[in-house]
Amino acid sequence: MTIYSFWIFDRHCECIYHKDFKRPMRQLRPTSALSSTDPKQRNTSGGPPKGSGPLTVDDESKLVFGVVFSLRNMVKKLSGDQESFFSFKTTKYKLHFFETQTNLRFVMVTDTRVDGVRPILEQIYAGLYVEYVVKNPLSPPEHPGGEGVNNELFTLGLDRFLRPLSIFE
Amino acid sequence: MVVYSLYILNKAAGLIYQRDFNEGLRKLSSNDYLVLSGTFHAVHAIASRISPVPSSSGIEVLETETFRLQCFQTLTGTKFLLISEPRQQGSDAILRRIYELYADYVIKNPFYQIEMPVRCDLFDRHLGAYIKSL
Repeated sequence: MTIYSFWIFDRHCECIYHKDFKRPMRQLRPTSALSSTDPKQRNTSGGPPKGSGPLTVDDESKLVFGVVFSLRNMVKKLSGDQESFFSFKTTKYKLHFFETQTNLRFVMVTDTRVDGVRPILEQIYAGLYVEYVVKNPLSPPEHPGGEGVNNELFTLGLDRFLRPLSIFE
Repeated sequence: MVVYSLYILNKAAGLIYQRDFNEGLRKLSSNDYLVLSGTFHAVHAIASRISPVPSSSGIEVLETETFRLQCFQTLTGTKFLLISEPRQQGSDAILRRIYELYADYVIKNPFYQIEMPVRCDLFDRHLGAYIKSL
C-alpha cells in the first residue's frame, strides 16, 4: 500500500500545502501551462499540450481541487447540505477527502487497496494542523501561497505521523 | 439490497435515462439531473488525468456517508451510474447485468434512435423486475 500525495486546500480554494510521497510521474518544472491566460503564449512557452504528458504541481493542484469541489457539490445536491464524500476510486488510485467545518479540505491520494483514511485525515487536522499551524502565534490566519503551513514542525510532524502507518510502505 | 437510482449517460454527457427505485435521496428537478450528469462526466475525465500512475480510468466508485455510486463505462463511452446504499457490495455485477438489459431491450429496439433519451417499455419492465429481484 502506498500514499502518493497529500494536499490541503483553504476556503479560498487555494492549495496551501502539498507533499508528494511516492510519485512515479511528476514533472519538476514549476511553470504552469494552465495559468497563462493567452492561448498563444501557452503554446509557445513549451508547456505540454493538453491531455498529454505529466502535469506540473500547480496544474495538478487546480485539477485535484476542481474534482473534489465538483464531487462535493454533487453529493450535497443529492443527499443534503451536511453530507460530504469520503473517497473515490479509479482503477489505479484512490482519493480520500475530508472537509472541516471551516472549509479546510484535506486530500490524500493513495493506491486502491487503502481503506479508512478518514480518521487519519482527521488526526492530521486535529493533531498536527491545529497544533502547529493554528496555534502558532507567528502564523497568519490565512495562508496565501502556503505561508505559515509550510513550517518545519508541521512538515516534520506529518512525516513522523505518516511513515509508521501501515498504509505507508 | 437497496438501490436508490440508475443513470445512463451517453458519450456526450447527455442523460438518456434516469430512474429512482427507492426513496433515500433528494428529489431533483430534471434540469438538476442534467447538470449532475454533465458534472460527473467532466469529473470522470479529469480524474483519469490527475492519476499519479499512468493510464488510469475515470472514477469507478464514489463513497459518501449516505450512498455509494458505482460507475461502469462501456467501450463505446456510455456510462451507467448506480447509486445504492453505502457499503453495498456487488454493484459492479448489477451494472453489467443492466448493460445486458440495455443492449437487449434498448439497442436492439429498431425504433430507438442511438444517443437519444431511452423510452422503451420493455427495458423499463425488465429493469424494474431485475432490481426488485435483488
